[in-house]
Amino acid sequence: MPGLALCGFIALGFAAGAYYATGTFATFSKLNAVVGALALGVSAARAFGRVRGAGSPAFRGVLARGALSIALVLGAGVALERLADASQLQWDWSFERRFELSDGSRSRLAELCGRASATLYADEYDPRARSSRLLLRTMAATDCLPFTEQNLSDSAEAEDRFGIGSSNTVVIEVGDRFETVGRPTEGTLYEALSRLSLPDSHLLYVTRGAGEGNLSRSDGSGFSGLREALLTEGFRLRDLVAAAAEEIPEDADAVLLLAPERPLPATAVAALSAYLDRGGRLVIFLEPGADSGLEPLLSEWGITSPDELVIDPASGPVAGAAIGTGPLAFQYGSHPIAAGLDSGRMTFFPGVRTFKLHKPRPEDRMETIVYSSGRAWLSPDLDAVRRSRPPERPADAREDYFPLVVAARYPRGDIETRIVAFGDVQLASNQYLRALYNLDLVLNALHWAADRISPGTRPKVVAVSGRLQLPLPLQNTLTMFQGIGLLLPELLLVAGALFWARSRV
Amino acid sequence: MMEPADAAPRARSGVVVEAKGLTRRFGPHLALDGLDLRIERGEAFGLLGANGAGKTTFIRLVTGFLLPSAGSVTVDGITAVADPSGVSARIGFVAETTRLYPELRVGTFLRFAGGARGLSGPELNARIDAGVARFHLESSLARPLGHLSKGFQQRVNLAQAFLHDPPLMIVDEPTGGLDPLQQEEVRAVLRELRGERTLILCTHDLGEARELTERVAVLFRGRRVAIGPTEEVLSGDDPLELFRGTGRSAA
Amino acid sequence: MTALRALIRKELLVLFGAPMAYVALTLVVLVTALIFFDHLRIYNQTLFLFASSNMGGFESDTVPDYINLRDTVFFPVMETMGITLIGLIPLVTMRVFAEERARGTDELLMTTALTPGQIVFAKFAVTYLFVTIMMVASFVYPAMAIIEGGIGAQHLASVFVGLTLHSIALASIGLACSAYTSNQLVAAVAGWAVGFVLWDFSWITSFSFVGERTIGFLDAISLHLRYGSFAEGIVNLAHLVYFIALAALAAAIARFSFDWRRVAG
Repeated sequence: MPGLALCGFIALGFAAGAYYATGTFATFSKLNAVVGALALGVSAARAFGRVRGAGSPAFRGVLARGALSIALVLGAGVALERLADASQLQWDWSFERRFELSDGSRSRLAELCGRASATLYADEYDPRARSSRLLLRTMAATDCLPFTEQNLSDSAEAEDRFGIGSSNTVVIEVGDRFETVGRPTEGTLYEALSRLSLPDSHLLYVTRGAGEGNLSRSDGSGFSGLREALLTEGFRLRDLVAAAAEEIPEDADAVLLLAPERPLPATAVAALSAYLDRGGRLVIFLEPGADSGLEPLLSEWGITSPDELVIDPASGPVAGAAIGTGPLAFQYGSHPIAAGLDSGRMTFFPGVRTFKLHKPRPEDRMETIVYSSGRAWLSPDLDAVRRSRPPERPADAREDYFPLVVAARYPRGDIETRIVAFGDVQLASNQYLRALYNLDLVLNALHWAADRISPGTRPKVVAVSGRLQLPLPLQNTLTMFQGIGLLLPELLLVAGALFWARSRV
Repeated sequence: MMEPADAAPRARSGVVVEAKGLTRRFGPHLALDGLDLRIERGEAFGLLGANGAGKTTFIRLVTGFLLPSAGSVTVDGITAVADPSGVSARIGFVAETTRLYPELRVGTFLRFAGGARGLSGPELNARIDAGVARFHLESSLARPLGHLSKGFQQRVNLAQAFLHDPPLMIVDEPTGGLDPLQQEEVRAVLRELRGERTLILCTHDLGEARELTERVAVLFRGRRVAIGPTEEVLSGDDPLELFRGTGRSAA
Repeated sequence: MTALRALIRKELLVLFGAPMAYVALTLVVLVTALIFFDHLRIYNQTLFLFASSNMGGFESDTVPDYINLRDTVFFPVMETMGITLIGLIPLVTMRVFAEERARGTDELLMTTALTPGQIVFAKFAVTYLFVTIMMVASFVYPAMAIIEGGIGAQHLASVFVGLTLHSIALASIGLACSAYTSNQLVAAVAGWAVGFVLWDFSWITSFSFVGERTIGFLDAISLHLRYGSFAEGIVNLAHLVYFIALAALAAAIARFSFDWRRVAG
């Protein structure tokens, strides 16, 4: 009898296993299910027959009491489960149904507090509206953005007035001004709030003509995303043609250089030098292997950048690059540019050079904003970033925490010059600007250079449902896995081995 | 049933075991067929028979491990069906094969066995000490049961059965598989039990039965074929005829 | 109570004194760590890839809806562990009752002051403790990683509760199977079979004669559906009661095995 039952269980197990493996309940599974059920049925029938054959009132009493206990437990279980189900009691421990607003969103809401209101226009059964509703409720909970909901089919007038094109549209109004958001996410609402809350804008001159990053290009190597982000942050942008620049206009709040590939003309360099002398603000992106012609100027202001590649083995292979050639930074200096950034909020530099700082004057303040890990070293081989194999560290190569982004303040009487230098320009390109916290770093630098208050970390690129998608630091995860992740099972196995050895004594 | 003429009167302690029409079936197989048996208080009673005669089934019915198909068996008037804990408290059971936990050390096992019988604290410690002394287990307290010889394991088996000082000892084939020295050791212990408490000894060994029991019953295919004083039952040209189901019938 | 305490102590010594317990612990902890790390690594890389290449502002959602911690890490971990535990847990439970029967020590237990109910309680309790320790050890690394990341700790707690309840349910099934045989292999195979069958009844829809009500009933008793909500971060009282009821039912069935044994022999 046990043999038959065993065969029955095996058949059932294979029936279920084949189904899970293939996703279909095919002939093999069906046959095994039938055979298994039959075998178990016959086995059970024989077992009961054995009992019946023994025949005794004492048997019946004992078995009946046992069966009754099982029935009672089953009945109680079902009843309690039904009661619990009817109560609908549950605890939502998920994070994906909660919107945690970014610091940037909170800042914009605070700026508009008491002045703004939001209306969600949606069809009655539009499932997308659920997420929008949750997001708006979260914003409303700050008491700065009350919101209402309108059935789109009953809002013909609003449709015309606000240019509403489809269901699930949010309209934010501040006085007579409004912004219509067709695909409400925290990011798009943040943009809308920014446009409504930042009437004052700072003027940013962006150089071009020497092979700098192009703010008009929308492919992966372009910088149109940076342009959009700057406009959202309230900057006005104006081109500065390097070849024709003899002086930087007085109305410039800051100048942005996106890694010129060719040396700037001497006149442009002189114009920049004069600009800095009179308290100008410069944000410059360098690139390994590119000679911008500005190195001597930067050196005058205490910033030198050897044309070497920072190799950081602590970074895993990212974006297809060899290990270490694209440092993932998670160590920051204590500076407003690094506000909101910490070991859990990384930035990515796909090929970066480092800086050395030396103060021109004692009162100058020069700081490192972003550091590589302590295992980084410098490689003169600038082509390493294009290879798939990671570069080998020479024996005499020094490992250190290399600065990847630096910022300096130079008080000169009533004026103050500020310079921010990035060792890589690709982190601001369309391809990588929205990666991790690159956008926050770049925008913070521009805000600081222009002496503006940054709103804080901005919304990440989230899906419409509002699920948070903040990345976890890969390097820390790797270290942790190789630490406690593997150590704990190893210790358990060692304990088992010791017990086994002890039992053999 | 006749008592030996020269039986000396002695103090009797222990329990009375009584079976009336005791029957047990396993499917179509009749393991015990209407067994009537009474074991007196303080008696050393032997249960003999070939393999499959029903000895172990009878033991299991007495301990309550199995339920009777018909009839009853009581220990001091109580049945295992009605009062299993009452019966358990009265019984010390030494099984045919050593049923121990090989991974436990001797001391740990005895502590468990005593605890499982409701003993604790100083009383348990005292009983363990007494058992260890009685069965000479001092040298093996820290050793795993699985590392002991069969003889030693049987001593531990006996020790655990004694911890709660039961008035009834049921010993099933205690010397099976032991060497002659080990057999003698076990028999020496069992000799001491005679008169102390009621003893039921299941055995194949006729010499052992003669030495250790006062009365015996012989089973054959679930039926009692002989019962009486040991010497009387086992006298005759071929006592094995009883094992074969032939020979003198029960009185 | 003295007898029960003695039995629980014995069970703990036997279980944790055997190397097999540590092998099982190691396997589960290691498999959980590997699966979690693998999915976390993929999540980081995928997120990174999708988060880049954004040409404009926030208008374009370059990150697909399914790229989130819940769907990319928690769900796959729970799904994989759910099936893996069906295979591993019966290996832990197969010996609990079956070994006693094979050795004959069940007869020893029955001649003590222990009642069958106490025996079942002790063995179930110790096995539950072992399974819980197994789950806690498995979640040390994932918990540290998630807490370090600063998000999702509460959700991970829900995943932990779900996996632990699932393990306890599987252990209960395994113990009930072990109670009816003296052969550990039979106990293990029966545990696997019952576990796999109970996991998911969606195959029943292949049979056209099966009605909606039957399907609904089978869904209600399916392990997978009950356990899935914990992966979503929802701790539902009805699901909690389901798992507890399943454990109680298995205990009652195991308890009945003693009566059956006394009757059937």
